[in-house]
Amino acid sequence: MPLETAEYLLALPEIWVLGMACLILVLDLFIRDDSRILTYLMVQATLVVAALITLAVQVPEPVLAFGNTFISDGMATLLKLFIYLVTGMGFLYARPYLQDRGLFKGEFYVLGLFAMLGMMIMVSASHFLTIYLGLELLSLCLYAMVAFNRDSGTCSEAAMKYFVLGALASGMLLYGISMLYGATGSLEIAAVASAIGAEEGSSIVLIFALCFIVVGLAFKLGAVPFHMWVPDVYHGAPTPVTLFIGSAPKIAAFAIVMRVLVDGLGGLVADWQGMLVILAVLSLAVGNVIAIAQTNLKRMLAYSTISHVGFLLLGVLAGTPDGYAAAMFYTITYALMAVGAFGMIILLSRAGFEADELEDFRGLNARNPWFAFMMLILMFSMAGVPPTVGFYAKLSVLQAVIQVDMVWLALVAVFFSVIGAFYYIRLVKIMYFDSPTDEAALQSNPGLRAVLSVNGLAVLGLGLFPGGLMALCSAALL
Amino acid sequence: MTLSLIIFLPLLGALLPPLFIRLGRTACAWSAALLAGTALAILLYHSPAVFAGETLVFTQPWLPALGLNFSLRLDGLGLLFALLILGIGLLIILYARYYLSEHDPMGRFYGMLLLFMAAMLGIVLSENLLLLLVFWELTSLSSFLLIGYWKHRSDARQGARMALAITGGGGLAMLAGILLLGHITGSYELSVVLASAELIQAHALYPVTLALILLGAFTKSAQFPFHFWLPHAMAAPTPVSAYLHSATMVKAGVFLLARLFPALSGTELWFFLVAGTGTATLLLGAYHALFKHDLKGLLAYSTVSHLGLITLLFGIGTPLAAVAGVFHIINHATFKASLFMAAGIIDHETGTRDMRRLGGLWRFMPHTATLAMVAAASMAGVPLFNGFLSKEMFFAETLHAGWMGEWSWLLPLLATLAALFSVAYSVRFIHDVFFGTGPRDITRKPHEPPRYMKVPVEVLVALCLLVGILPAWTVAPLLAAAAASTVGAELPYYSLAIWHGFNLPLLMSLIALAGGVILYLLRFRLFALHDRIFPLCDAKAWFECGLARTIAVSHQLTAWLENGSLQRYAMLLVASVLIVIGTSLWGTTLTGPVAMGTVDGVTLTGALVLGVSALATVIWHRRRLAALVLLSVVGLVVSVAFVRFSAPDLALTQLSVEMVTILLLMLALYFLPQHSPAESSTARRWRDGLLAAGAGLSVAALAWGVLTRPLETISGYFLEQSKPGGGGSNVVNVILVDFRGFDTLGEITVLAIAAFGIYALLQGLRLPSPTTDGEGRPWAEDRHPLILSAVSRPLLPLALMVSLYILLRGHNLPGGGFIAGLVTAVALILQYVASGVVWTRERLPFDYIKLTASGVLVATLTGVASWWFAHPFLTSTFEYVQLPLLGKFELASAMVFDVGVYLTVVGSTLLILANLGKLTLVSQPHEETK
Repeated sequence: MPLETAEYLLALPEIWVLGMACLILVLDLFIRDDSRILTYLMVQATLVVAALITLAVQVPEPVLAFGNTFISDGMATLLKLFIYLVTGMGFLYARPYLQDRGLFKGEFYVLGLFAMLGMMIMVSASHFLTIYLGLELLSLCLYAMVAFNRDSGTCSEAAMKYFVLGALASGMLLYGISMLYGATGSLEIAAVASAIGAEEGSSIVLIFALCFIVVGLAFKLGAVPFHMWVPDVYHGAPTPVTLFIGSAPKIAAFAIVMRVLVDGLGGLVADWQGMLVILAVLSLAVGNVIAIAQTNLKRMLAYSTISHVGFLLLGVLAGTPDGYAAAMFYTITYALMAVGAFGMIILLSRAGFEADELEDFRGLNARNPWFAFMMLILMFSMAGVPPTVGFYAKLSVLQAVIQVDMVWLALVAVFFSVIGAFYYIRLVKIMYFDSPTDEAALQSNPGLRAVLSVNGLAVLGLGLFPGGLMALCSAALL
Repeated sequence: MTLSLIIFLPLLGALLPPLFIRLGRTACAWSAALLAGTALAILLYHSPAVFAGETLVFTQPWLPALGLNFSLRLDGLGLLFALLILGIGLLIILYARYYLSEHDPMGRFYGMLLLFMAAMLGIVLSENLLLLLVFWELTSLSSFLLIGYWKHRSDARQGARMALAITGGGGLAMLAGILLLGHITGSYELSVVLASAELIQAHALYPVTLALILLGAFTKSAQFPFHFWLPHAMAAPTPVSAYLHSATMVKAGVFLLARLFPALSGTELWFFLVAGTGTATLLLGAYHALFKHDLKGLLAYSTVSHLGLITLLFGIGTPLAAVAGVFHIINHATFKASLFMAAGIIDHETGTRDMRRLGGLWRFMPHTATLAMVAAASMAGVPLFNGFLSKEMFFAETLHAGWMGEWSWLLPLLATLAALFSVAYSVRFIHDVFFGTGPRDITRKPHEPPRYMKVPVEVLVALCLLVGILPAWTVAPLLAAAAASTVGAELPYYSLAIWHGFNLPLLMSLIALAGGVILYLLRFRLFALHDRIFPLCDAKAWFECGLARTIAVSHQLTAWLENGSLQRYAMLLVASVLIVIGTSLWGTTLTGPVAMGTVDGVTLTGALVLGVSALATVIWHRRRLAALVLLSVVGLVVSVAFVRFSAPDLALTQLSVEMVTILLLMLALYFLPQHSPAESSTARRWRDGLLAAGAGLSVAALAWGVLTRPLETISGYFLEQSKPGGGGSNVVNVILVDFRGFDTLGEITVLAIAAFGIYALLQGLRLPSPTTDGEGRPWAEDRHPLILSAVSRPLLPLALMVSLYILLRGHNLPGGGFIAGLVTAVALILQYVASGVVWTRERLPFDYIKLTASGVLVATLTGVASWWFAHPFLTSTFEYVQLPLLGKFELASAMVFDVGVYLTVVGSTLLILANLGKLTLVSQPHEETK
């Protein structure tokens, strides 16, 4: 089948990022350490141009390309833009951290770009193999990034665990996909959907396929009981990497959940809804309850991620357009909050001091009231307290769940949110009421400070005017 | 529009005081006061319409998709609360101007106070329930900031966190309740919700909805069993406690009860939940208040008790009770705010709030003492003060409460008891502070506070008196308007007169007054008694105990789920997968309609051998050599099985792969111990065994399910297309090199990369050659037995010939590049084994790396060549040629591809095996890496 130029045009953002990633990989070899900033600037420029290209080539109606393996639609455009944004912020926060520790190398950014390419492919996939390719590209980059600080034992251990479990989960996902092929005769998402729709009931192979696919997706999302890697990896990885893993990939994971479960396996909704209910409830329960006992902030945020994934799943399992839009809104806003929270850890850290213990935030209000306030906003947003954006995310998800008469599920979610509120508030209390033990100055990088402030204010601003983003989310799903 | 200004003035104005502080402290206070004053003026401007019975509504869409609108509503209830918030707020601003010391950052204080004020106004003016919730939580946030402002007070920490945890949690519960309310009525607008009482109360979700909303209200208004946060929040500075914890924030809960009164009240459930909680709080608060030695502690518990009283009134559910409730809200706000401010003055002037150290202050500050006495009398319910009026109404209502049946005497009794305590602690507040002996251990000499610090107290106390003496002329219209919008229907007749004749409520009042004084006189004996029983009923201790339990559970869960062990994680992962599969398969029929075929003896024997040797491998896996032998049996049986099912290609491949792998393992085993040590415990082995069995069984179930169902195979297509499309009659080979050529290209690339990887890993690695095996037996001296090398040499050309034959015939008959490559590799490896590395390298000077790379290159170029002819990548073509001697011969481009496969396989296999084979120092007497 001959490929048309128009098809390449649709994938221009991906092609651009791929080309630049390769180019920067090579150019970086010729850049001396003291002018490494050039690499960084090229990477950020790549992101900006990618965003412009994405906007320029967006299409009003969904268009398939490359033999129905690639799709360009509203959801892809919106999610890609947020992936660029979050990734760019992550790169920005990472720079002072890496510079202080002598880790400011081109590899970090190139791996990050390739990981982002993987996410873009996931977001734009309309074929199970495309999804798998994107996912693996992302995962492989992440494994390497977790082990980025090669001299650190915890980093290597985290990377090893992540890799072994991740490979296991990937295998299961692939196993599921192969069974799906056996059952439906195709791997194109639309074809799979119509094959399932044409079938009476669900065959045993389909159920097997669904189980393995859900397991694979749940692992990538970090939903209980497939969450074991999350705390160890979040804790073990260098903070900028944790920041990266905890933010943009969640958006991509949401996208593949939508593509696979809703678009592809929508006919099996009765089967996967029950599975997601269990995953969501377990995630909410385990995430929130275990988070209470954590003394390490990165670990606490890891469990908080798990509980947020529970909420995200609630939106998806509602099975209505409102629910999907709510879940998308939740994912995007969560990514923004997560970036900010890990950015705060970077702000407080310096060479030889990671600032990832809760105790390290003691008396932040006395040290720097402005950033204490930013962290307060972020924590309140994660807890779901208005007028921060986290409230609207929770509100819309809960509404979607109640609309489909799953009231008990909403109550469970609220119950565990109350528990969750406790540990976010504990951090706020530590910042505001305890006296500081560490008097050193915070990171002074002006870019970091400015973007962190914008980040915090955005969480507040989106809380005051959430209508725009919410409308974008609903429109993207049409 | 101007309605929203009431909220926005303080909200946006919150930024002003921090700026105005540069102009001085007075300017700063003025800026805050002006904003609040303007908002109050706007409110008053709208009040005539409200008094006329109108409800002003302003709507601005905000987030219509979620049903959240910025819609405001000003009715009697809202007006009353807004007046309290703004009026008392203004007084607090004045008071705080003199209370705050020079080094307190006043600008921030006023900013946060205004923010809090805006949030409170938002609650009472919201028309939309979700908007109400937004402001509700905003009060939590801003109050937290206000309390956190005095961070040097260490006792404030626990209190503030507990307050926030409880009210924040309650707010989330309320969110769920409001969502349910919206679900039932279809709208979050109050005008709709309030008009759908019947719909709501008949709905199946009514109990849940009610419980959740009440959770929100009770936590905010410090009702039992959540009452304990309020007294512990008293570490905040006095202006904050006076404003938040007496007049405004804690009133938000009872405001919500009043607000939703028309929609939710009137059911038995409402009565028992609300009135029950109210009664418990009323009694508990009144009891504890008497035993607090801290002035503010006493006031805090008294606030708890009065809030309970109001809750109880709303719980009774009659319109008259609601009127009494609203009335008591007004009265309580006035006398309690003035008492807090008086307590603040005393603290400010003496430096202590402990009533055991205070006393006799009448001599030093008679003016303040008089003010406090009036307010306290109002709190005690002494006639001619405003507290008396609402308390009388309260007593009257307890007498008429329905639902209680024959227990109806209980409520008045409890009410009188609580009132008795209330009188006792009011007397204590006055007598212990202003009279008697003392003060003791006071560092400075107390005197009257600055003039303007007393003004707010004076204003409030004057209100207490005015309302108490002339109710009909002062409070009546406001009460009527507020009560009318609370009840939502025509108000019943009620009288605000001071004297109703000698009736039962008056008798209850008198009993309470007399009993309270007696109780106060007995206080020292009671204190001793209380100290003995108090530890049993400290709800804060329960809260902390519950917290500790939760944390303990959390730690246990962590230890079980996240112990850091990868094995544990993998176990959980696999177990979860098994559970997921097991539950989804539960109830499905596994066996399909296809009947079982017959089993012949040979197949059965093969299957048995396969099963037994697989099992034996597992059982003897610690004896490595034995396990290896058994494993090769498994491999061989599998290749025989391929023959049995007419798949000669697979059989050949399996056979040669088997040999190569066994060789590889033998080479590795040479350096390793003969036995694997047992590292895991027996229990763990059983656990893993079960998991493995589960995984095996589920795959078996899948196979069973698939095989017993009719199946449309895809082989027909390939059988048809093989000859015309690929030019070969060996379908397997055609698939490999043509239909799925891209796949094969990928595979050989992976193989090559793996070989290079192993080469790179082994580079420079030199191991000492073991002289004995694992059991201590020495290895044979003769490294290259003569017979083996003699036999192997003539075998080589034969093997090469066979492999060439297999390669060439592959397209039409069983064979192909992959098998041929393996046969060649095995033949060459045999030379290494038989004659040693050095001997073989001299005679076989190939560079295996180049060989591997050239294989991949040839295969790729075959693919690229088809582009030359404007066909997609890897399109194959074939032609028949007439060769002398051999006759008609078919040449397919795919055969070139197959040669590429062949070269890659030979190169990679030899690269791996030859490098593994020369690891020992012995095999390399002189460094021959070059």
